Amino acid sequence: MNNQNPIPPIPPQVPPPIPPVMPASGPRSLGDDPAERAAIPNIIVAIEAILRQPRRVMFQLRQPGAGWLIAAMLFVSVLCSLMYGVVAGTFSGGTQLWAAPVKIAAGLMISALICLPSLYIFTCLGGSQARLVEVSGLLAGLLMLMTILLIGFAPVAWIFSQSTESLAWMGTLHLIFWFIATVFGLRFLETGFSHSNARSLTGFRTWVVIFMLVALQMTTALRPILGTSKTFLPTEKKFFVAHWGDCLKGHDEASKSESQ
Amino acid sequence: MPAPSGKLNLIEISVLLRGEPERIAAWAGQWSARRLALPVIVIIVGAGLYGAAMGWWRDPQQAFYVAIKFPLIILLTTVGNALLNAMLAPLLGLNIPFRQSFSAILMSFVIAAAILGAFSPLLAFLVWNAPPMSPEAVSGATYSFIKLTNVAAIAFAGAVGNARLFQLLTRLGGRRAVAFRVLFAWLAGNLFLGSQLSWILRPFIGSPSLPVEFFRTTGLRGNFYENVFHSFLQILQQFD
Repeated sequence: MNNQNPIPPIPPQVPPPIPPVMPASGPRSLGDDPAERAAIPNIIVAIEAILRQPRRVMFQLRQPGAGWLIAAMLFVSVLCSLMYGVVAGTFSGGTQLWAAPVKIAAGLMISALICLPSLYIFTCLGGSQARLVEVSGLLAGLLMLMTILLIGFAPVAWIFSQSTESLAWMGTLHLIFWFIATVFGLRFLETGFSHSNARSLTGFRTWVVIFMLVALQMTTALRPILGTSKTFLPTEKKFFVAHWGDCLKGHDEASKSESQ
Repeated sequence: MPAPSGKLNLIEISVLLRGEPERIAAWAGQWSARRLALPVIVIIVGAGLYGAAMGWWRDPQQAFYVAIKFPLIILLTTVGNALLNAMLAPLLGLNIPFRQSFSAILMSFVIAAAILGAFSPLLAFLVWNAPPMSPEAVSGATYSFIKLTNVAAIAFAGAVGNARLFQLLTRLGGRRAVAFRVLFAWLAGNLFLGSQLSWILRPFIGSPSLPVEFFRTTGLRGNFYENVFHSFLQILQQFD
């Protein structure tokens, strides 16, 4: 009787493959579109590409000789952050006109440098096949996109710098602009990693939190960026939340004395 | 449909008001000094006339000042946010060049300015019928009525301008969701800068107890949002 109902063959005990973050029917692979394969010959094209054809930048970062593109993106990031820094420095004027740009540009680059190793580790843990050069390139792309967006915000920041005396208010405004620019930058980075066969983006998202914390702490470590001080760098060490609390307290006391 | 001409004729403002997306999209793609001149003129005349009617209640000199300031706010907002708006569009999924985003926003302001210009005789008539501006008039219902009329007219003009801009963005981007995202981002940026510019360039309606002037001497002291925040705190303190 048993012979009439043969037991079906047992499939080999192989664990099912973990699907990639992006389904096969999802976005096309990089370089499918001939426009994405076009080389990026200069800085202007790089700026244009990161705004309009981010996939072109991602594809070029995988090609041999991507070092030039990374250097160009870092150069634009430094230049744009210096320009935005001048605008931030107009709030206090004087020495802040050169101190603020130097601090903003240096703070951004140091934050990126500090976070680069952890980014590479987290992306590897997530299964990404991206090489260190590509990861560095994507991080440089994040910085460039962030800083050119900050240049877009610069006229608005300048108008407010000229018409308010509240340090707390201007600090909040710059933080909002920085946050919006960072969100767009991180979106670029995430898209880049989703094309590198990553199985999970959890590690990347953890890194995002770390990057944000480092950048925020940098604003306190390099203070004052907006206000004035006798020394170029602070003499007292503080956590950024405590520093913000002190700034808001100062603002509150100033408002009270003004109303009296 | 007639082919789009190289310049924007005054009659073609009606096309803008009707919101014919094909023709407006074709205009937005063109970029020349002549094409830019007419939108700027319409904004200066339309918003200027409305501004004059708004300031007239206080004094003819105030009318003259507001006729300059009102178009100035629109043009400064357009120029001040041009770069940011041009960057936001492709990042939010609408891949249009700088000139197209600039022209699109300028056209929405042209529509708003044309509507405001058309409302200016109505506002002038209202002001003409109002009692002269005095501390009593300011504390009474007349001032509130004029203020609310201005708010309603400007809100209507802005809403129509943005509805037409939404149609144009949908046409350019092909998807309503993308058009909505871009419109929302542009609106947020323009409102943010425009409010502060209005704060700096105050007064508009004027006050009987304060002199007629182009800028308040306190114009560059404080900002619009700080003022709103402090007003909010004052209201909360009433309940303490």
